[in-house]
Amino acid sequence: MQQLIITTLFLILTVSPVTGRNYYIYVTAESQDKVHVVKFDGEKATVIKDIPVGVWPLEIEGPHGLTISPDGKYWYLSLAHGFPFGHVYKYETGSDKMVDRVELGLFPATMQISTATGLLYVVNFNLHGEHEPSTISIVDPEEMIEVKRVETGVMPHGSRLTNDGLKQYSVAMMSGTLYELDVLQFDISRTLFTGRKKQMNMQGSMDHKNSMKKNTMHKIPKEKPTWVYPHPADTHVYVVNNGTDNVVEIDLGNWAITRQFKTGKGPYNCEVSQDGKYLVVTYKSAAKTGIWDLNTGQELVRLKNTRRVTHGVVISPDSRYAFVSVEGIRGEPGSVDVFDLENLTLVDHAEVGKQAGGIAFWKMED
Amino acid sequence: MDGCRLVFTCIALLLGSITLQAQDDDSLYFQFEPDSLDLAIGDSANVKITLFSEDSSLSNNQFLITGAWGAVEVRPWISNQKGVANVQVKVFKPGSFKLSASSITPDRFKRVRGRMPITVPFPPIAKAEFIDPPRTAYEGTTIEFAARVLDQANITRQDVQPVFKSSNPEIADFDEFGHLTIYRRGLVKITVTAEGISSSTDLRAVRNPVRKIELSLEADDYRTGDVITFKARALTASGRTVEDAPVVFSFMGKAVYGIGLPASGQITPQGKFVAENPGDYTIFATSGGHTASKTIRITPRNIQKRAKLVGHGLITDVFTSDLWVWQGVGEFKERDFAVTGTWEANGEAYFWEVTDPSNLIIIDTVTVDARTVNDVKISADGRIGVLTREGASTRKNGVVILDVSNPYDVKILSEFNDGLTGGVHNAFIYDNHVYAVNNGRKYDIINISDPENPWRVGSYELNTPGHSIHDVWVENGIAYSSNWNDGVHIFDIGGLNFSEQNRHTIMKNPVLQAAGKGSPRKPTLMSSKTDTTGRNHAAFPFLSKSTGDFYVIAGDEHFPFGLGEIENMEPANPRGGYHFLNMNDYNDPVEEAIYQVPEAGSHNLWVKGDTLYTAFYQGGLRVVDISGELLGDLYKQGREIAFYLSNHKNGRMSNATMVWGPQPYKNHIFFSDMNSGLYAVQLVEYDYDEDDE
Repeated sequence: MQQLIITTLFLILTVSPVTGRNYYIYVTAESQDKVHVVKFDGEKATVIKDIPVGVWPLEIEGPHGLTISPDGKYWYLSLAHGFPFGHVYKYETGSDKMVDRVELGLFPATMQISTATGLLYVVNFNLHGEHEPSTISIVDPEEMIEVKRVETGVMPHGSRLTNDGLKQYSVAMMSGTLYELDVLQFDISRTLFTGRKKQMNMQGSMDHKNSMKKNTMHKIPKEKPTWVYPHPADTHVYVVNNGTDNVVEIDLGNWAITRQFKTGKGPYNCEVSQDGKYLVVTYKSAAKTGIWDLNTGQELVRLKNTRRVTHGVVISPDSRYAFVSVEGIRGEPGSVDVFDLENLTLVDHAEVGKQAGGIAFWKMED
Repeated sequence: MDGCRLVFTCIALLLGSITLQAQDDDSLYFQFEPDSLDLAIGDSANVKITLFSEDSSLSNNQFLITGAWGAVEVRPWISNQKGVANVQVKVFKPGSFKLSASSITPDRFKRVRGRMPITVPFPPIAKAEFIDPPRTAYEGTTIEFAARVLDQANITRQDVQPVFKSSNPEIADFDEFGHLTIYRRGLVKITVTAEGISSSTDLRAVRNPVRKIELSLEADDYRTGDVITFKARALTASGRTVEDAPVVFSFMGKAVYGIGLPASGQITPQGKFVAENPGDYTIFATSGGHTASKTIRITPRNIQKRAKLVGHGLITDVFTSDLWVWQGVGEFKERDFAVTGTWEANGEAYFWEVTDPSNLIIIDTVTVDARTVNDVKISADGRIGVLTREGASTRKNGVVILDVSNPYDVKILSEFNDGLTGGVHNAFIYDNHVYAVNNGRKYDIINISDPENPWRVGSYELNTPGHSIHDVWVENGIAYSSNWNDGVHIFDIGGLNFSEQNRHTIMKNPVLQAAGKGSPRKPTLMSSKTDTTGRNHAAFPFLSKSTGDFYVIAGDEHFPFGLGEIENMEPANPRGGYHFLNMNDYNDPVEEAIYQVPEAGSHNLWVKGDTLYTAFYQGGLRVVDISGELLGDLYKQGREIAFYLSNHKNGRMSNATMVWGPQPYKNHIFFSDMNSGLYAVQLVEYDYDEDDE
């Protein structure tokens, strides 16, 4: 009897508490002008809704970035292409009705709302334009008006805020630089070169301007950072260097690289689980997803995605599942692959529209 | 529980306690001093903003203040710790705006917002001035004055209505629309005023020598759509022509429908008349109380034919995009071929043999890394093809150059995506160069004289704010680009070399006569005309064989009913039409006519001879007679020769016509339909009976 009780207690402590939980994710299909809602019940991933987006039925407008408002009431979508500027659209979650939109810069991409200010920070990626400094648009998501535009590096991507909502981070792909924006100052506060060898550490907005001028005169750094994600404790950020196949950990206090993780080919996006344990990295060129133990700095497993061109990743708030968008090739559907972070396996996938890209976690329901 | 879970549980509890504390705070509210602002452009003002607690004490809660990018600048953006901000607000644009304040709090449910309205009127009016005002006028006539209103930013203000006034209404007086009637001889001062700003001009009303109006026209049989020029002469008693007597033209008519439709038409101030339906029309020419009239009979244009389906290549699994038809070369020179693209699909382009238009067969497929092959073009010599790419999985898009000399075995020679990563929506091949619309911002010109090693020679980009380009068509060394808001732009990329062969072509075309200074390396702008709809989507040059007039036909594309149709597999419902821009004086193009199908949307077009072939999306293929002088609404004038609705029950979207583009070719008209593939039709007499064959 005692053994039974002990066994039962052991099972209670170790078995995942997530049975019977549904997870909901939004994902874009960039070459199909669609956004999908995917539901995962712990075993099966299913597309439960297809939402056509954009206003020109016969021009691909390119839905790229997604974010959910902190209160879960709205989702925001960046549409990359316009005549010529892109837009961010605001939709109601659930009904998925379009509420409003605001025109921003060229190819608005990644974005997130600060929990501190309530403002939306969107990078204008300008992926296909000239290699010149681009901008971060700061948007009031209530009014859907752009309130400020802050100059940043060349081809900014990734836009993630610390959990306290006070700092926004993005990387400039063709400047090889991490940018920190102080949300209360509405300006860049620090920049950091994301490679190991040339550690350029700039503080303050004046230095930032000089830094940019220097970068635009230089050759394109080989690092080509594509993503940045903060640790839930707001002590570090993780920058994905797509060009040099690594992820660097940056200490926000020292403003220096502390660790470097050698990844699979072509790392693209990453996310840290809420419990701070896992770093999940998508390997675009390798069509794989890597799951790392942040404590040990070791890659636990590198799992094959269901198709090629791995793109974005989002981890459920219970740190159990990673949802990875995979673009696919040409006419094949994109997919959302679901990885179990405890068992380190691919659980299921849902086929979505072509060129699945931006992905955002909406909610969990028991 | 492991250590990590314990730590995070504690953090959660801690945050929970902070949240609890926030929830215990009283409601906060903002106070703005002043509570609104009215500012002129460029002005600034100071505003004090305070965040109070419910009991009117300072909240000790910081907040952010924001304006609107490009319109309202605010400094500083953040209050002090007590919740007080003294900000300076500066405005840069006219309009209605808000100064917003938002509390900083980790608890978004407790975020408090406040707003203050800011009104920035347009700049004050600086000038109200006449445009070319007459100095004299004949008594008994009515003349129109034109005026321009400019504000202090030197912007012409269409929203401000000028008011005209005569100093002596007994001599001459205005109606509310700016028309001045001259009652008797004398001198008056005419004043135009806008928001208190005036200017004046003197006008002398003189004796009107006109005693008779003579109205004439060339005798002929006139049909609907024919432009008839009425010549009016105002004559003195002795029969001398009074050259500057204003003559007003008008008409009335009686249609022959037998039902309640009007006798409608159009008459210009210059006396050009066009009837939209058959009937008897009386044209009047009036000046100074004297009138002459002529009645003419307008007969139906009666040019209708039927578009008979000859052949159809059904495509059901993907949407079809553009097409191009050409004659083979070498061993295939006795055969004809076509290529069609695919849209939001698998990056395929299909090559067809169309020698027998009744038997359209796919003979080869080229697959490229793309989701959309929006445009397909073949060089004039039939040897080289180009496919455009969008949605490449590498995001490197660009164009693909093909060897199509053997259409049964098309080969990819090269890809060019340097600087073209943003997608190429449309392209054109001309004289060993590809003109590629690059990311919708500009077009790049790529030399393909060695098609395996293409290289960029130049590009052209507008310099207007927010410019965007949709398409480019090149003919006789002139590039015609379609640029949405910026309208049609005509570029000299070398024109035609003067030779015996080209002489007539050049001499007939006013644009070609002046061209020759540009090149593919350096396209030179010759002319442009903005699009009043803001949606210029296509452009095609048209030199009328019947009149010698030179037009650019500019298409506009519009989806006013928004999105969701294609993706929900519902038929789309676009709108739009074609604007005929007379380019005889290419420095001053004038829109003279329009062709638009009610409740359908325009897409691609082609002109051959004096016939327009158009793809009208859900309106199908339309073939239009554009011979003779053109004026007014060509659709209403019965100039449509034929139409074909290509809905197919087994189409990608069943029973939904969606014609993308036409091409007349060797007595047939080929066109692509997004939902159902490639078609070949032929125009036959309206009462043609297949059983008679």
